[in-house]
Amino acid sequence: MDFVILSLVMLTIGIYGLLTNRQLLKVFISIELIATAATLNFVMLASSTGQGLGQAFLILAFSTDTAVSGVVLALLVIVTKKYGTSNINEILKMQEKRESEAEQ
Amino acid sequence: MILEVLSIGLIVSACLALFLDEAVYSVAALAGTFLFTALLYVVNGAVYAAIFQFAVGVGTLAILFLSGEMLSDKPTKKTSPKKTVALIGAGVVLSLPAIFLSVSGSTGVYSDTSFGNALWNLSGVDVILQALVILTVALGIAIILYERRNGGK
Repeated sequence: MDFVILSLVMLTIGIYGLLTNRQLLKVFISIELIATAATLNFVMLASSTGQGLGQAFLILAFSTDTAVSGVVLALLVIVTKKYGTSNINEILKMQEKRESEAEQ
Repeated sequence: MILEVLSIGLIVSACLALFLDEAVYSVAALAGTFLFTALLYVVNGAVYAAIFQFAVGVGTLAILFLSGEMLSDKPTKKTSPKKTVALIGAGVVLSLPAIFLSVSGSTGVYSDTSFGNALWNLSGVDVILQALVILTVALGIAIILYERRNGGK
């Protein structure tokens, strides 16, 4: 059982989801998975050497993760209210349409 | 044995969270991911980490359950049982390398640093700086949403 490979697999799944999903909610979930993979590495490597430092770093990583979650959720609220959808492709299309209308 | 089961559950729930079509089921699968991570921490003796993971996970999930259903687009089709089974199978296959392979070398020098000592004596300044960062981010989000509501005036 190797936790480095486990966190690598989690990281790969998160990055794949980040690149392929077009829904902002799924993008948010991908970011959460990537953060979980990173914190898993911290805690497992530290606990194998008996250090409490890994758990302390986990708390610091959680605070950063929470800040990122707050920003992404604020973006989700703003974008959904402005465009009526949370699909990135549709938002880009609407933006292009608006720009072309503004040029005309 | 229990570590292997938890690892498989972790990867399967991560796959389900990403690739299920319904937002509520995705968030429920993400709850499973957080739960399995916390259980892995407990089994490895990192109880404080598990408690924090659980607390942060509950907060995140509460917000996601509320906002996910309201703000995400309605799926055009429901997830078929065949796709769900395929996702579970893919999760099990993806977790096999973690169970059977190993890349870790020696575990290094064993040192008995307690959690309290590590948090307050070794990284006390980091904790205070992180608190300042969190406060700044919260203030920034509040300003962005306030400006948005008032139309930038």
